[in-house]
Amino acid sequence: MTHVVPADQSTQRAAQTETITVSRYAPFRSTAITIVNLAVFFLIWELIARAELINALFFPKASAMFAAIYNGFADGTIWPELSHSVSNFMIGLVISIVIGIPVGLLMGASRIADLILSPYVWAMASLPRVALIPLLILIMGFDNSMQLTIIVLSAVFPIMVNCMAGVKTVDPSLLRAGRVFGTSRLQTYSKIILPFTLPFVIAGVNQGIARGLVGMLIGELLGGGGNGLGFLLDRAGDQFDAPMLYAVLILLAIMSVGLIQSMRWLEQRAAPWRDTART
Amino acid sequence: MVHVGSHQTDHPAKERASTVGSTLIEAVEVSAGYDNRRERTRLIALRDISLTVTQGEFLAIVGPSGCGKTTLINMIAGFVKPLSGVVRVRGAEVNGPGADRAMVFQDYALLPWRTVERNVEFAIENRRGYVPKAERRRRIADALGLVGLVGFEKSYPHELSGGMRQRVGIARALVGEPEILLMDEPFGAVDAMTREAMQAELEKIIAETRQTVVFITHSIDEAITLGDRIVVVSNRPGTIREIIDVDLPRPRFDERNDVKRSARFGEIRSHLWALLSDEALGAKSGSVTQQEGETR
Ligand SMILES: Nc1ncnc2c1ncn2[C@@H]1O[C@H](COP(=O)(O)OP(=O)(O)OP(=O)(O)O)[C@@H](O)[C@H]1O
Ligand SMILES: [Mg+2]
Repeated sequence: MTHVVPADQSTQRAAQTETITVSRYAPFRSTAITIVNLAVFFLIWELIARAELINALFFPKASAMFAAIYNGFADGTIWPELSHSVSNFMIGLVISIVIGIPVGLLMGASRIADLILSPYVWAMASLPRVALIPLLILIMGFDNSMQLTIIVLSAVFPIMVNCMAGVKTVDPSLLRAGRVFGTSRLQTYSKIILPFTLPFVIAGVNQGIARGLVGMLIGELLGGGGNGLGFLLDRAGDQFDAPMLYAVLILLAIMSVGLIQSMRWLEQRAAPWRDTART
Repeated sequence: MVHVGSHQTDHPAKERASTVGSTLIEAVEVSAGYDNRRERTRLIALRDISLTVTQGEFLAIVGPSGCGKTTLINMIAGFVKPLSGVVRVRGAEVNGPGADRAMVFQDYALLPWRTVERNVEFAIENRRGYVPKAERRRRIADALGLVGLVGFEKSYPHELSGGMRQRVGIARALVGEPEILLMDEPFGAVDAMTREAMQAELEKIIAETRQTVVFITHSIDEAITLGDRIVVVSNRPGTIREIIDVDLPRPRFDERNDVKRSARFGEIRSHLWALLSDEALGAKSGSVTQQEGETR
């Protein structure tokens, strides 16, 4: 076949797309599955508890737990603690993001900044948070600022480290493309390095959320501040109030799942080019 | 950055036509290598390369895999500094990329967060090589038309096949109408038919714009059908084994006058084949592909 294909036949073809029909109910299907799934879960829980296979002291009925949640909100024991924890956590997370992202980006971009800061960052990132509690109590007492500090110290380093890793792993051939096509220094950052790093930033914030929640709980459990979900948990344990204990655990689970889900939503908004394998 | 050349004037092609034949790119006894700090060794990739490319010339580079072709083109692009010797473009030593040179990367190097049209736009929206927004639309549409990607403007690179990504890279290099096109295996991932069509298209573009092209390929036939001269690079450390003049008439993609059937084409082809299989055997790693069934 020595024959040259006429250019306008083989190279000018346009994308052939067909419209496909997606069921209107498709988005609701997974929600429905989740609801059924949870209902079955709590039902089995209830049945096992009613059969008294496990000591009711450790394993209350699901209905008792839901009653504890309802009563707790009705008589005002849960809400102040929940809102204390949530607002503390959100403030701590925002502080961590505001500090962690720029410092992490700086460490990724500048060798000097990396050399100077990395011993401290790595030491702090790997040190178990609980070890800091006595020192923080010594410095700040049982104050709320102590609880806030432990949240920030827990969340800020994963954010920092991920941002740094993002900048450092920028594909070198993308940087070359930038140089060939004439980006200025600022444009190299705004058009190549930052978009490349965005998924790492989001992963860092996700880790920051998980670690920050742990920090929040140890601050409230061990900090002796007398408030927050951690305090409720502690008190319920002391009073052998199993339904309340489980109620707080469920609230914590809802809180963390909610945060993680909103991050996933954000990720899909911010980085649509990455959802190859999803849907 | 210094603006080399004046390709952004109204009639770049005319201007270039007047200087066709003068030396544009020049490498003088260039060696290049990569340091391995961990093992304290240096891998010499290229040794004593001397080469000139004249204005308007199409220079094809062939050679076994790993012989330093990408390194050579990267030196012309300004990414890799020679260990010794000097590379000049228009008489000025290369010490970084410039607006006069655009590149098609072997690994495409597309921005994954940008759609096809925004990737092409990348070449003409930055500080150097800026084109006003109103004109960009038309230029991008032209470039995408040339590479046959009309209809995929809004697709992301991950939604395209390998060959389509490669064509986005080609459109991006063409859209800024640079004086020098550096192409590192630009058609490596497209099928034989599309490849021929794009070769024909490239020849047509070059004839019009008088751009100078440095073109790496693994295909002997492609080197002969496109090149004015073919540089054969030997095994690592790469040296110039031979430079072959391709004295076939242009346009080469002409249905009435098929160069691939000519006796001269066959001669050059078997000569190149012998040279390259010699090199490939030396390296014990065959990297030369022969486009099958094209000459009979
Ligand atoms: N960034 C790098 N660091 C270290 N060594 C490198 C680097 N880039 C290339 N090399 C080495 O230099 C040699 C030449 O590489 P180059 O990429 O120029 O080869 P090539 O001729 O383009 O090969 P191919 O045809 O496979 O693309 C190779 O042996 C490779 O191992
Ligand atoms: Mg290469």
